[in-house]
Amino acid sequence: MREVLTMWRHTKMVVLVALTAAVYAAILIPLKGIPLIPGFTEIRPANVVPVVFSLLFGPAGAWGSAFGNLIGDFFGTLGLGSIFGFVGNFFYGLVPYKLWGKMGPLSSGQALDARSTRQLLEYLLVAFLASLSCAVIIAWGVDLFGLVPFGVLAPIITLNNFIAAAILGPFLLWLMYPRAKRWDILWTEIMEPGEISRAPRPWVGAVLMWIGGIGGLVVGVAISTGLHAALPFQFGTGTTGLGVVAGVLPFLLLFFLGCFLA
Amino acid sequence: MIRLEGVSFRYRSAPEPALSEVTCHIRPGELVGLLGRSGSGRSTLASTLNGTIPHLVRGELRGRISIAGQDIQGLRPRDLADRVGFLFQDFEAQLFSTNVALEVAFGPENLGVPRAEIARRVDRCLRLARLEVLRHKAPAGLSGGQKQRLALASVLALEPRALVLDEPTSDLDPAGRRDLWEAIRRLREERALTLLIIDPETDEVGWADRLIVLDRGRVALSGTPAELWSEGDRLDALGVKGFTLARLATALGLAERWQDTDGAAAAIRAAGWRVAEGAADRLRRADDERASGGALLDVEDLTHRYPDGTEALAGVSCAIRRGEFVAILGQNGSGKTTLVKHFNGILTPTAGDIRLSGQSLRGQSLARLSRHVGLVFQNPDHQIFAERIRDEVAFGPRLQGLSENEVSRRVEEALEAVGLSDAGDLDPFILTKGSRQRVAVASTLATKPELIILDEPTTGLDHRELLGMMALIQRLNQAGHTILIVTHAMAVAATYVRRVILMQDGRIVREGPTREIFGNESGLFDLGLTPPPVVQVGNRLGVPALTLEELVGSLVQGTEGPRDKGTETRQ
Amino acid sequence: MNLFLYLDRESPVHRLDPRTKIFLLLGSFVAAVLFFQPGPLLALLAVLLLYGAVGRALGNLRRVWFLLLSIALISTVSWSVFARGSTPLVWRVTWEGLRYGIGAAIKIDSMIVSGLIFLSTTRTEEIVLGLIRLRVPYQAAFAFSLAIRMVPTIIGTALAIRMVPTIIGTVVTVAEAQRSRGLDLESGGPVQRLRSHVPLLVPIFLHTLRNTDQLAKALESRGFGAGRERTSYLEIGFHVADAFALILAGLILAMFIAIRFTG
Repeated sequence: MREVLTMWRHTKMVVLVALTAAVYAAILIPLKGIPLIPGFTEIRPANVVPVVFSLLFGPAGAWGSAFGNLIGDFFGTLGLGSIFGFVGNFFYGLVPYKLWGKMGPLSSGQALDARSTRQLLEYLLVAFLASLSCAVIIAWGVDLFGLVPFGVLAPIITLNNFIAAAILGPFLLWLMYPRAKRWDILWTEIMEPGEISRAPRPWVGAVLMWIGGIGGLVVGVAISTGLHAALPFQFGTGTTGLGVVAGVLPFLLLFFLGCFLA
Repeated sequence: MIRLEGVSFRYRSAPEPALSEVTCHIRPGELVGLLGRSGSGRSTLASTLNGTIPHLVRGELRGRISIAGQDIQGLRPRDLADRVGFLFQDFEAQLFSTNVALEVAFGPENLGVPRAEIARRVDRCLRLARLEVLRHKAPAGLSGGQKQRLALASVLALEPRALVLDEPTSDLDPAGRRDLWEAIRRLREERALTLLIIDPETDEVGWADRLIVLDRGRVALSGTPAELWSEGDRLDALGVKGFTLARLATALGLAERWQDTDGAAAAIRAAGWRVAEGAADRLRRADDERASGGALLDVEDLTHRYPDGTEALAGVSCAIRRGEFVAILGQNGSGKTTLVKHFNGILTPTAGDIRLSGQSLRGQSLARLSRHVGLVFQNPDHQIFAERIRDEVAFGPRLQGLSENEVSRRVEEALEAVGLSDAGDLDPFILTKGSRQRVAVASTLATKPELIILDEPTTGLDHRELLGMMALIQRLNQAGHTILIVTHAMAVAATYVRRVILMQDGRIVREGPTREIFGNESGLFDLGLTPPPVVQVGNRLGVPALTLEELVGSLVQGTEGPRDKGTETRQ
Repeated sequence: MNLFLYLDRESPVHRLDPRTKIFLLLGSFVAAVLFFQPGPLLALLAVLLLYGAVGRALGNLRRVWFLLLSIALISTVSWSVFARGSTPLVWRVTWEGLRYGIGAAIKIDSMIVSGLIFLSTTRTEEIVLGLIRLRVPYQAAFAFSLAIRMVPTIIGTALAIRMVPTIIGTVVTVAEAQRSRGLDLESGGPVQRLRSHVPLLVPIFLHTLRNTDQLAKALESRGFGAGRERTSYLEIGFHVADAFALILAGLILAMFIAIRFTG
């Protein structure tokens, strides 16, 4: 995770953070989403930004996604949820570059514009875990403070993020990578190898990230919807949060540990 | 002040060096213009002066560069900020604050200048740029010209000893250009600052101390404006437009250097040249022979109001006939672009109507209209997305649902027309700006529209690219397309366009044959427009010539005969 | 419609130090998460509306009322379904669950109203300066503020029309350019419609990213990151009004805490 801090030394990376954030927010705001379940959930084309920009700009994509989402909130819905939106989107933009090439046999090991089926598979996996971890973090935090139930929010965010990233992402990545490379703005070209963490156990990290993400979602949804009989909802005032909060927390910790190892 | 010794640079991915063995010396207080075609190394050279190369742009740099006697090797731009200031072409990309005064303060803040001193500098620099009254405004709300002067003030607040201006006027409208040059002149009077101006219009820097022309990364020519005055042919060979008045002088066999168009007209008269009898009538008759067909586009009392109530167009009526070549001229904000965006249905009128071949545009879908009216936007980078030029050009025809055979036939035709037949499989982004502009034209052409509208087709092109682009547009016109351009380039309008429409504040203030409109200089000047030098000289001599060839062809040597009084002239 | 929420007005709230307003914002969040019952949350909302009225910021509510309403609706409905209680109303909805849902709705809306007041009365520069004084690293605070400033120029006049009508942002221009070529974003199924965004998104991304070099050059040539101790032209500082506001807010917060834990 060193690169997340050392990147601030480079003016270009600072600019990339700003540009990622600005583009993310600028597309979030005016482009209408495409309703999936009208009035309830929609696919937002902007949600492709964190994944693609993460693969191109590394930590600048992560910070940019976090800032961009916060700016989106500045145009209407700044609240406590914005804090978790910030963290969730940070990881939405962190997971893709962290996980890329570190999933052993599932990683293609190819340059970003190889356009092979294997690479597409790797992309979809990475995008899925990124969407998922973003959803679990936000839904966990929002449930912690009793704002929106985990069981509603986590699946919606996962779906929202993943559909846009899966359908638009490969095209955008393939169209942008060669150009970004030519313009010398890939993060791997800007930053020195010594500034990037050495990834002590990439394989273990990747596995932990997967367990943390998927486990968090499954357990959280199970508890939240009451499918999980062992932790029934309390009666009375309806303090529904703590079961979800406690059940998901270990998985979140596993996930964070994985990010540090990968 | 600035000294380069044997400086060479090769971009990381480029096979050829961008600079090779450049040695030059700019003295303290000197004003130097750096010229050359695009790709000649002008901007690369400038980038080496404050460490942008090699610190922000990777590549291989050799040679020695020193500023005020200090070798700058190892210093980054931020270390040199208080010695070498930079003003860039793209004013949007150099403003970072939400308030004019804070923008000027940004640089000194970064350098840790004490607050009281920052306040003094802010006041001083805003005064110089004539922006005092705007100090609490948001930079985003300023006009292009004001933004560029704000950027200038912001750089000056660092109190550098040398200032590099990288194509500072390219993105400005005529009034913005004039104001910026005035600010730079005032600056020169106020303090001894070394100035290096990249790629100015030659005609605009007759007052420079020295001009340096680069070619293929080497210094090809260097001298005072007076020394380069009559080097038009050599400059031309280097892809640089020479002094217009010098070309006129050479064509008339005169050798002296003229300061302005008044001087030129007087000198031409003094040398015994006069306007040939009937010359003006001959020119006008030639115009009539090129008359065009019936009405294609009819605009009737068109009004457009933005959601906040601002009236962008206030009752515009005009007509475009089949086969015409028309230009719309006016300052930024006069409503030119808003008007043409109605012609292909992007904007719908608040009131009034537009008819294409007699049929109202109301209710017609954009997709359908795009087959009849093609709009080429100012910046090709706002539309290019495909990875091959061929796919980019095929985008429109494919959306029309044409068969793949028909699509590829049209793509080939369009690429042929713009001279990119061999480039179909390349990535558009490895091309120069001028060629990307051609790609944009080709993708419009491939939908075979009757009317082609081009918004600022020559902005950002170098002299040669400009000539190529205009020749292309002229060919399209001759091939039967009706052409409408929106432009600031008065010389382009004079040379290629038969009829002009002048706009101001959302209205058409005048329209008519180019010859007639350009003959009335005061009318143009009221709109902040200035006709090109040749037209001005013609007006002063009393002939409505639009090009150098027309002017020279209208003059004869000798003193007898009546003077042609065909056109109103203003001295 | 102006894109930004900031209202350039004179008010006691406008004059407060940005740090004070950040503390007040966080304080309102704390107060909100203390409660689950609608009663005290309504009291908090009333306090916030009063604060907004003093800051002459409530006009901005017109711009987000629809959002507030739909969030309240979604929250009420989803908690009604998810939270269990002992007094059944209909299907799996209980009286307790509904009450909890309404409470959550007021809670979220209170926070948004509080955020709205903050943004309506505090300039971006002040927010950034406040963050820097609160020890947020300068580079990060700057990137954030630059991004905020760039948003309108990327989106363009469709939303920021009050600026100069001749500035057209990237999103609007690209959309116009591609629509001129016949691109239709409105037809087809969800996947098809999402796909047709590619010709829109690629130029927006590329055009914006092309600026990276330009911005980095311009920033460094203005001394950005020069490593010296930065000074500030804009002055902020705590005044009597800030002390007054903080003490008042502290008392109100203490009162809410007391209500929470004494019943």
